[in-house]
Amino acid sequence: MKKVAIISCGQSKFGSFVDKTYEDLFAEAYLEATSHIENFEPSEIEEAFIGSLAFGGSQLGNMSALISDAINVIGIPAARVENACGSSSFAFRYAVYSIMSGQNKIAIAGGVEKMQDISKKSRLWWFGVAGDIKWERLSGMTFPGNYALMATRHMYEFGTKKEDITRCAVKNHRYAAKNPKAQFRNEITLEQAMNAPMVAWPLTVFDCCPLTDGASIAILCDAEIAKKYTDTPVYVVGMGAGTDYLALYRRKSLTRIEAAIKASRAAYQMAKLEPKDIQVAEVHDCFTIAEILAYEDCGFCKKGEGGLFIHEGQSEVGGKVPVNTGGGLKAKGHPIGATGVSQIYEIWKQLTERHQNQVDGAEIGLAHNVGGTGSAAAIHILKRG
Amino acid sequence: MAHVSVPSYWNALPQKYRLVAGKCKECGYVNFPPQILCNNCSKSNTQELIELPEVGTIYSYTIIGRGAAPPEFKKMQSKSGAYAIAVVELENDQKTKINVQLTDCDPFKIKIGTKVTAVFRIIYEQEGVRRYGLKFRPELKNPK
Repeated sequence: MKKVAIISCGQSKFGSFVDKTYEDLFAEAYLEATSHIENFEPSEIEEAFIGSLAFGGSQLGNMSALISDAINVIGIPAARVENACGSSSFAFRYAVYSIMSGQNKIAIAGGVEKMQDISKKSRLWWFGVAGDIKWERLSGMTFPGNYALMATRHMYEFGTKKEDITRCAVKNHRYAAKNPKAQFRNEITLEQAMNAPMVAWPLTVFDCCPLTDGASIAILCDAEIAKKYTDTPVYVVGMGAGTDYLALYRRKSLTRIEAAIKASRAAYQMAKLEPKDIQVAEVHDCFTIAEILAYEDCGFCKKGEGGLFIHEGQSEVGGKVPVNTGGGLKAKGHPIGATGVSQIYEIWKQLTERHQNQVDGAEIGLAHNVGGTGSAAAIHILKRG
Repeated sequence: MAHVSVPSYWNALPQKYRLVAGKCKECGYVNFPPQILCNNCSKSNTQELIELPEVGTIYSYTIIGRGAAPPEFKKMQSKSGAYAIAVVELENDQKTKINVQLTDCDPFKIKIGTKVTAVFRIIYEQEGVRRYGLKFRPELKNPK
């Protein structure tokens, strides 16, 4: 099997861009990515894998043709990959496979989503489309509500404090404040977040990620040719993915994302690494409790100790594993289909020493992306060359 | 305007009115809802229909804040205010879990472990069609 390198990554600004199209956002991400490399011709791209939920339905079918058009690579094989909030990590996974197999020398993986230019009623409707419809949605359940079930149970089983769960939001806003591409560049206080309006008890509005417009891209190639384009290739050394029941109530436990545990085990095994080797991570904090579960599911701490992990500052820069230094889904933003590769973008920035919240000397990083309420998860471990 | 479709089969689902599950004759596993392939042993067409007990205890819960309900439940919430959704463990041997809306209570009074009983209610109205089904009522000393 071929070794796979990331030669560059790019991301559009995340936020509300009612005046921009899918093509505009994706081209913005692409132009950043191509600005970091040399000797690169767009005609060298052999295949494109594009993540999107097509939130709002304004381009529900054949998104990939629109994206090929946006970066002028019409003609190559391209397809949209959909796995809810995990879409672009799965797009990335398939791009990696295409190079590992020797089929492609260069492929791109990315994602795009537009979520802001939609009426409030329609947004609420679209927000639930990736959950179980028959038994959850039609009981009056919401997406934040499902994560709230996990939070309630985690607090009950492990004595986790709500304050510690919400600390994830405070931390991620602090990192986003320094990220010029983040949706929210304001810091928040724990008191403010705890006392904000309730969305799904015990979660308040500050425990929840926003709706975001944005795009992301990674340019991947056969490691043998990576140095032609950059002096600092980053290698994909581990990857794993998993699935679970669509409906939360059917799972064995509400306090672990089994799909993410399977994904992380596979990724560590492939990379021949352990959780203690990870120096920086981006994890899927669609809701604050999801970040607590991610610490545990990735093995950064023991099951049930996620609250303690952030309480002690272990997920801050300077702690055991700095997490979401780009601001996370909570504050950088969560353009569903673009999120997974935007996490990989943050890790790539860390490993190539471009990050605004740089972790000194980081050589190995992990990106953890979850679809739905944990019905799919993909994890990638990246290593500086 | 997109909306959750209301296929006819929905009103015909027995699970809307009774907790009909599929007990596998091969391995004894209770599948809720019934499946063609057993979730435990993967054998196909081996499930006999049984009714699960309509009582259980709250395994976990959340309270959907005012204005945060799905659009189908906006009208209901304008009357009820915040309402609770729970994963309930039923009182069968396997402790089968289901996801339900709780009713007839102040949602802030419930706890993990509170006993609940199924009741028949209107779930929501869409395109002029009323959807009926089961909600669960907590056993509380002062429910409101």
